[in-house]
Amino acid sequence: MSSEPLLRVENLKTQFFTEEGTVRAVDGISFEVREGEIVGLVGESGAGKSVASMSIMGLVESPGEIVGGEITYKGETLFGLEEGPDGDLQERDDMLSSEEIRTRIRGNEIAVIFQDPMESLNPVFTVGGQLREFIELNRGLSEDEARAEAIDMLREVGIPDPEERYDEYPHQFSGGMRQRVLIAMALACEPSLIIADEPTTALDVTVEGQILDLVDDLQEKYGTSFIWVTHDLGVVAEICDRVNVMYLGEIVEKATVDDLFYDTKHPYTNALLNSIPRPDRTVTELEAIEGVMPEAISPPSGCRFHPRCPDAREVCKRAHPDVKVVADGDGEPHQAACVKHDAFDAGYDQSPSLEGVAVDAGPAAAQEPESELTANPAGDDSGGENRE
Amino acid sequence: MKLLKYATYRLLQSIPVLIGISVITFLLANLGPGDPVSLMLQGQEQNEQLVRAIEQRYGLNQPLHERYLTYMGGLLEGDLGQSIHYRRPVADLILERVGPTLLLVLSAYAFALITAIPLGVVAADKRNEPSDHASRVAALIGVSTPSFWIGIVLILIFAVKLEWLPSSGLVYPWRPPSTYRSIDGHLELYYQSLRHLLLPMIALGTLQMATIMRVERTQMIESLQGEYVKLARAYGVPERTILRKHAFQVAQLPIVTIVGANLSTAIGGAVIVETVFNINGMGQLFVDAIQQNDYQLMMGVTMMLGVLFVLGVIVTDISYAYIDPRVTYGESE
Repeated sequence: MSSEPLLRVENLKTQFFTEEGTVRAVDGISFEVREGEIVGLVGESGAGKSVASMSIMGLVESPGEIVGGEITYKGETLFGLEEGPDGDLQERDDMLSSEEIRTRIRGNEIAVIFQDPMESLNPVFTVGGQLREFIELNRGLSEDEARAEAIDMLREVGIPDPEERYDEYPHQFSGGMRQRVLIAMALACEPSLIIADEPTTALDVTVEGQILDLVDDLQEKYGTSFIWVTHDLGVVAEICDRVNVMYLGEIVEKATVDDLFYDTKHPYTNALLNSIPRPDRTVTELEAIEGVMPEAISPPSGCRFHPRCPDAREVCKRAHPDVKVVADGDGEPHQAACVKHDAFDAGYDQSPSLEGVAVDAGPAAAQEPESELTANPAGDDSGGENRE
Repeated sequence: MKLLKYATYRLLQSIPVLIGISVITFLLANLGPGDPVSLMLQGQEQNEQLVRAIEQRYGLNQPLHERYLTYMGGLLEGDLGQSIHYRRPVADLILERVGPTLLLVLSAYAFALITAIPLGVVAADKRNEPSDHASRVAALIGVSTPSFWIGIVLILIFAVKLEWLPSSGLVYPWRPPSTYRSIDGHLELYYQSLRHLLLPMIALGTLQMATIMRVERTQMIESLQGEYVKLARAYGVPERTILRKHAFQVAQLPIVTIVGANLSTAIGGAVIVETVFNINGMGQLFVDAIQQNDYQLMMGVTMMLGVLFVLGVIVTDISYAYIDPRVTYGESE
């Protein structure tokens, strides 16, 4: 990596304090976004993708709270904790205040596109008025300049007759058109990073295709970086440069798009890929992932995916793997959080399978004492953090 | 002018409603107990000839449907018949009395809206904090206390005990009363008018205020959770602007509906409040009409209240169409 990334998220933890217990919606994820790239954040509903992206904006709503980790954007700390004099964690001095985040970051540095174009626009204001307001606010333009800019931007995202449609209300626009308006909104504020939170999920497939093409073109033109939050690997394949796969608040695999699809390293990613139709594979029946994702209040022990994992063995119940480099990858280390890879050295090969049938070792291995086995034994760095 | 077209359309639509009201009230007034003729001849010796003469004069000997048609014919010319009790045209009586009632109802609504909307917004903004709980209790009391009781207590405190405000009557800002010789100039007139209006306005407006406040709070909370509020936050819009503009505007739509739907309650309440404060409005006229079995007056007052209510609903609909761009103006475009 040549330069400092645009955005760096390290060990981010966001929790919701509910009456039923603490929901660990985002539980120690790390990823980065470099200039001009589209980074995917993929996972099932409830994996914590949206909470992660809202955490970056400082927009986690009560009872949610960021409880740990560090978010750095263009060298500035959006969130960071340090140990105070009394030993408690407190916010770091160099962290931007919420007022600074509101005026300097939201909109003009990091913009968002939300999932539901039907609900995201205010029904009682004109489309143009809403666009103009955000442009005025984030670029310090006068009303007339902002209006001209808004009309230009509407034209840019492919809205016909932008001068006339400027004064129309959201209900007079179709879903695809509204999503174009939201994209215009994001781009018009000239941010360096756009967080797109499932922006095409609510649209039908043809419109989705048009929107993806549009984003591809505009991304090339403006050089804006994107975090693309989605559950749809098809969209990922089409648009992303690098991908982070999330499961139950954790990132389980990080790779470039090609590595992820052609050299899948995590059983969860594999299961996701098997559950969608792919043009490069012919199958008679798609395989759905068994079971449902557990609640983030009480995640399973060990690897969180083990109850649904076809490759799970005894060790997976105990060892909790963090993402590690498991292969060189194509110009980018390929990381995964699964103990079946040699990098973890957790004794996967000797471990009996969960049904009690030994896979490689004899039945003796099943009586292996339940040692406190972790995926990252102290001092063992054989996996290496970075193998560049 | 789409709005004008819509308004005309709604006005035309109200004609069948008004005809319906007239049929029902005509039937009720005529089929109800009590005979107007014997009432007119109270204290006099009733002979057959006199009764016949009166029936002839008022058209009471005709069949019901013909009497209805005659009545409606007169109505179109602005003739609501003759009040038996007051021995004056009903139309004149109503014209005299409608002003005070409108003044009372409108000012009660003004009081309710001016107080309830800010309180509702604050309660929604400070949800589950002490001010929210306080407003919840206040609203509960406001909804469950009858207006006549509020009126009497207000009179006891502010008129009898403190002697700050008058206990009865109204001073109309458009007509200086002869009894107030001290009044010179418009300012003094408006001041006196306000002093007289204050207590009955609060007595009538409290129920509306409590209802509107709760609806405002609920709507604001819902609106503040809207995706468009999330979007505004994500684009760095200050929280104050979100509260005042983005969330507020959407939340006001149901308030308009509530105001319109509660209009009947307010007009009904005005009858009681006018009695408590001894105001010569439609309410008192209505009570008189019923007590005196003055069926012509009863018909006239009911028709007038019906017209007021229908007009109120139309105004509600039109303002709804005006503030909510999603409402189409009746016919499809």
